[in-house]
Amino acid sequence: MDPSQLKLGWDVAFVFLFKVYRPPGENYANPKTCFFHVLFKAGALAFYILSALFFNSFVIIFVVTVLLSALDFWVVKNVSGRILVGLRWWNEINDLGESVWKFESLDQESLARMNKKDSWLFWWTLYITAVAWIVLGIFSLIRFQADYCLIVGVCLTLSIANIVGFTKCRKDAKKQFQQFASQTIASRVSSTIQSAFSVV
Amino acid sequence: MSHVSDTIPLHASSQSDIDEIENLINTSIQSSSSTVLPARPPSPPRIPVSASPFIQSNLPPLQPKPQSTIQKPPSIVPSAPLPPLPPSSGNSAGGSISGTGFGSPPNTLTEPVWDTVKRDLSRIVSNLKLVVFPNPYREDPGKALRDWDLWGPFFFIVFLGLALSWSASVKKSEVFAVAFALLAAGAIILTLNVLLLGGHIIFFQSLSLLGYCLFPLVIGALVCMLKDNVIIKVIVVSVALAWSSWAAYPFMSSAVNPRRKALALYPVFLMYVSVGFLIIAID
Repeated sequence: MDPSQLKLGWDVAFVFLFKVYRPPGENYANPKTCFFHVLFKAGALAFYILSALFFNSFVIIFVVTVLLSALDFWVVKNVSGRILVGLRWWNEINDLGESVWKFESLDQESLARMNKKDSWLFWWTLYITAVAWIVLGIFSLIRFQADYCLIVGVCLTLSIANIVGFTKCRKDAKKQFQQFASQTIASRVSSTIQSAFSVV
Repeated sequence: MSHVSDTIPLHASSQSDIDEIENLINTSIQSSSSTVLPARPPSPPRIPVSASPFIQSNLPPLQPKPQSTIQKPPSIVPSAPLPPLPPSSGNSAGGSISGTGFGSPPNTLTEPVWDTVKRDLSRIVSNLKLVVFPNPYREDPGKALRDWDLWGPFFFIVFLGLALSWSASVKKSEVFAVAFALLAAGAIILTLNVLLLGGHIIFFQSLSLLGYCLFPLVIGALVCMLKDNVIIKVIVVSVALAWSSWAAYPFMSSAVNPRRKALALYPVFLMYVSVGFLIIAID
């Protein structure tokens, strides 16, 4: 592990721990959730970067990193997605045997009431984590370490899955709102016309 | 993690289609009532979790609206429902995939985190029982892994890799990496094989199934870790292999054209045999 990569690791860790997580009550509506949202991501990245200093065994590095990454995937999908941005996505297989992706979101009012800092944190940490894994993947490719590419591959897949899922969910929510809005306008117009005719 | 208090609970109904939402919007606009429709009961293969019906007290406290007619803001739009989770799933994605994602009664969105964990764990157990152990649903493979999840396969693959790596006296890291990569890539390739043969399966469902069928081999690897006699190892691994293949057979064979059954099944068998050899040959 050369000094430049080590410095990068410390920088990443500092950014996550000290700039992103603020003490509770300051600006975030759900500080505990934000903390956990960031914790596992930062933990996986930090462990991967720093572990080569302490452990010689690849197996331990692999298992702990992938485990942290999988935990992070679960937390983001089930807990922080719900609470920080009010979105949820999953996959079901309907009775015909086809796979259906389902998206769910809060109603518009609640979405508007969501804390802006929470959702900023949510989306930016998702993107930053994926970029960090890509950078680490490039490092291990350059060094021809196929083992470490495996770890990076798994963690990257999990991050990207979450990003894609939540982005689709957000688009779906916007689409639903637009449909609802147009329908509201249409029905309002028609009932106005009806009341106009009834007066006549 | 303790109970997370939701400040803004999510609405839920039992159908997730946009049509259903539009119906509800129409109903709500016309009736100008501030109630939310009750959810339908869940479909059979799901595991019921919290059996309480949808309670109106879950509505957010700020609904002071007078019962006006059309200015009904979208605050009562129930959003789509009840997620059993995937993972990778996982989720996956893990299974996942997530994922994953793995219906249920409407309160799952406001449930405490511990409930979600319990629900996912119980889904792993039930999927395992459906796939690996004899049960009445085996004739209808489509039903077997309706709630697929990738967490079970993930844990099994990691566990198998760890068992193999622990039994190896040299090159532990490489054994683990090879085992993991072989199983993961093998599952993906086998699924692609079935899809390319013109079969009808769903990608993640098949990944999930192949992962769950590793369970007997995991048990075999554990036993082999404890006993060092070669003959016992061979016997144990053969039994585990037969069990795995028996578990995977109905699902794979029903997914393809009967004339191509062997083409789909042979690679599966081959993969399990190679894992069996890894288990035996590790010293």
